[in-house]
Amino acid sequence: MAGALSEYFRNVFDTAAAVLEGMAVTCSHFVRKPTTVQYPDRTDVRVQDTLPYRYRGILEVDLEICTGCLACERACPIDCIVIDAKKDKGTRKMMLNRFDIDIAKCMYCGLCSEPCPTGAIHHTPEFEGADYSLESMVRRFVNESVEAYKPKKVEDDPKISPILERGMRYLDEFAEPGDEAGADA
Amino acid sequence: MLQTFLDSLIADGTFGAIPRDVAYAIGMVAAGAAVVFGFVLNISGVTTFVERRVWARIQSRVGPNRVGPQGILQWLADGLKLLMKEEAIPYAADATLFKLAPFVVTIGFITAFVAIPFSSALIVADLNLGILYITSMTSLVVVGIMIAGWASNNKWALIGGIRAAAQIVSYEIPAALSIFTVILITGTLSTQGIIQQQGWGPWDWFIFHSPFTFIGFFVTFVALLAEGNRTPFDLPEAESELVAGFVTEYSGARYLFFFLVEWGNLYIIGAILVTLFLGGWQAPHITDSVVGMNILQALTFIVKSYLFVILMMWIRATLPRVRVDQLMTTCWKYLLPISFVNFMGTALWVMIWPQGFRFAEIVLTAMGFGLVGYFLYRVAFHLRRSGAQITLSPLS
Amino acid sequence: MSIAGFEVEVERGTGLETEQMTLNMGPQHPSTHGVLRFVIKADGEVMRRAVPDVGYLHRSIEKISEKVGYHGFMPYTDRVDYVAAMFCNQGWGMVTEKLADIEVPKRGEYCRVIAAELNRIASHLLSVGTMILDIGAITPFFHSFREREKINDLLEELCGARLTYNYMRIGGVAWDLPPGYEEKVLGFLGQLEPMLDEFHDLVTENTLFRGRCSNVAAIPGEQAVAYNLVGPNLRASGVRYDVRRDEPYSVYPELEFDVPVGTGAAGSVGDSFDRYAVRIAEIKESMKILRQCFRQIPDGPVVAKVPRKLKPPEGDAQIRVESARGDMSWYAVSDGTEFPYRCKVRTGSFAAMSIIEDISPGLMLADLVTVIASLDIVAPEVDR
Repeated sequence: MAGALSEYFRNVFDTAAAVLEGMAVTCSHFVRKPTTVQYPDRTDVRVQDTLPYRYRGILEVDLEICTGCLACERACPIDCIVIDAKKDKGTRKMMLNRFDIDIAKCMYCGLCSEPCPTGAIHHTPEFEGADYSLESMVRRFVNESVEAYKPKKVEDDPKISPILERGMRYLDEFAEPGDEAGADA
Repeated sequence: MLQTFLDSLIADGTFGAIPRDVAYAIGMVAAGAAVVFGFVLNISGVTTFVERRVWARIQSRVGPNRVGPQGILQWLADGLKLLMKEEAIPYAADATLFKLAPFVVTIGFITAFVAIPFSSALIVADLNLGILYITSMTSLVVVGIMIAGWASNNKWALIGGIRAAAQIVSYEIPAALSIFTVILITGTLSTQGIIQQQGWGPWDWFIFHSPFTFIGFFVTFVALLAEGNRTPFDLPEAESELVAGFVTEYSGARYLFFFLVEWGNLYIIGAILVTLFLGGWQAPHITDSVVGMNILQALTFIVKSYLFVILMMWIRATLPRVRVDQLMTTCWKYLLPISFVNFMGTALWVMIWPQGFRFAEIVLTAMGFGLVGYFLYRVAFHLRRSGAQITLSPLS
Repeated sequence: MSIAGFEVEVERGTGLETEQMTLNMGPQHPSTHGVLRFVIKADGEVMRRAVPDVGYLHRSIEKISEKVGYHGFMPYTDRVDYVAAMFCNQGWGMVTEKLADIEVPKRGEYCRVIAAELNRIASHLLSVGTMILDIGAITPFFHSFREREKINDLLEELCGARLTYNYMRIGGVAWDLPPGYEEKVLGFLGQLEPMLDEFHDLVTENTLFRGRCSNVAAIPGEQAVAYNLVGPNLRASGVRYDVRRDEPYSVYPELEFDVPVGTGAAGSVGDSFDRYAVRIAEIKESMKILRQCFRQIPDGPVVAKVPRKLKPPEGDAQIRVESARGDMSWYAVSDGTEFPYRCKVRTGSFAAMSIIEDISPGLMLADLVTVIASLDIVAPEVDR
């Protein structure tokens, strides 16, 4: 009887104490600074600029340095990249007729940017891809047939060299040591 | 007071040839409308906004801050949005009852404001059954909830409605018993009468009148929380179990009514507690002007009861929900015996010290402040341990 | 007698007749964590039976592997269990490495363990947070998600994504740890500790929370083994089994950690509270492992040389990974081409789902929610 009674009062006391302690924890949050970010407009810098370098956002292609090797098309597990690269019979140059990326299909896995020899296809920190129709989510990078980039020992074209430099820097970060060995095993 | 005011207006001939009774009726309706539109709707709306901001801060978020300065108009936007929405009535629902339920709930809630004393003069009607009237009116809400749960023809809604009925009916008993402890001391049921017997200082409040009323205060608080369907007793609309309980099928304006009541009820709970235990509108006599004193009293009352509203939000943000069997255990095995003991104890106390026992009042007040002090110490401890960045501004 | 014009027979029995109510919980229900469905036979608030209905989130992930090849399947494994994707990455990587006999460089293994343990903390934080949310407290959920966001930031820096990481590759990991990563992770662990203490005060010690969890759906050890429960659910029942310790893989033999088991601190061994407590204890163990990893990580390459068109020799392989939801078993068959012949994943949530029908009779409706949350069932992992 006495034991049961003391347990009864201990239950009441324990509950009251636990509630008080919990309330103390939440009360201490009244004066803590909120940790959330006021996306999109009330941030000090654009959210895109705060993302880490490796962030895998919407894909982009620098056609100036695309060699038309089709490595990305082959690496893509869902075939969201479609490239039409043909050798022109007359000029014997690689011509890019089509380079489409369907960002509605893309799952941002990053497998395409890894085998790229020049870093032409790369992820940007851009992630706001909402659009009104599925058709407009297909990014077409080639409007009219262009010549594919031909790698040189030293890039001297002042227009292309900064782009290539960026591409190679991107590759440095993302390079996969296994690449060279099994390029086309 | 309303009557004297109307009498003076009739004497001035403002109402012309209108009979006296009709003039009174018009005056009553006008006063009621003023209370409803000027205070009740706004306090419910603002409470939703405050609740969201309080929760947000506790949860390391910012909360609504886009509509108007600091998001203060968010509740208007929410209300307008709900009013504009289509009201879907389920095909198999009992349409008449389904439409009726929100109004039953709202009536039960709004009529309770009649007997709430905002100051010594500011009260719609000082009924001599005041506190009984408030408790019975607020329990009308359960009828509406039952109707809503039944008429929705949805099993989740039905369970919610039945839970609400069981819960509110059970908790009426400890709530009423604890309210009776105060009535034993005052000898009146009138809300004004109860407040007039307290003073402005904490030692004159009924919470510190005797150890029994001190415990009775907490019992009342818990029981009223359960009656208002607030966490940890929000079982009727437990969103993680019953989808949304009795409001599952509601949308649009009728949904708005349910939430008007839910948040407005917080204020009523606060007002009941302040009236019974915390000195009501009693404020220090600093001016001889009647109007000035009334303003001061109204401010005191509103601030005190709103602090309770914030406390209830804070509790909701802290505690998990109890299970339905634990809910009943809490009521029948804990609150009910404790409130019986309180009732008897208070009766004895009043017999021995009919005028109150000053020493006990002082000691209890000191204990109350000691409790608050210990609580603040724990808060400081948690702040220190977390090493979080501190900001005192409530703005985002 | 006649009621409303209809002639009805009224049985005059022993008194009040009651009948069971069939409730349909899900697939759209706030606390079924995705699209689970339960058909509940309830007698008032008490359940007589709850039958789980799986398959709403089936995406044929195993079949996809037969079409996309060994390298291309890696991002799909992220979707098997999207709150603990690192383990699925690791599982697929390990099974292919076993098939093709590839050795992962030491640093690569350490990178894998670091990523996986960070992910384990994130997954347990999510699990514990949603469990408390289902029980009705809102704030602890936000606090645990706040910490989980910080892990997401760390993993985003490591692999560029917050949820579907695709960090690991066959033969290692995609990228080395970014510069300054150790300080960031250790800094995070340093501030996670007081947060866990606070969590303890706010939730674990709360009698209302304990009341909701203690003695709810207690699963004895034998039953847990019989139903093939794995991971924290099994350990909560008092069975000290952890793949990392008992069938060590990767670099786990070089790391020291305890395997916490349920003690019945709030009631009986193996109840919902124990499952919660084991997860909290495992977060602390993971923190210990992470600290050791950063002390021991060697220099070197992070990925082995693997041909881009991988053609493992004919045969099959099976490996096990201790995922956040327990023993995750991967089985793959190669027919010598560049596409797997068959792949099969066995996940912990599926077993946890199957036990619900057995433990549900006699529980309250509200307890079912607690049980689902405490078993940490993740819908995509059940259906795959």
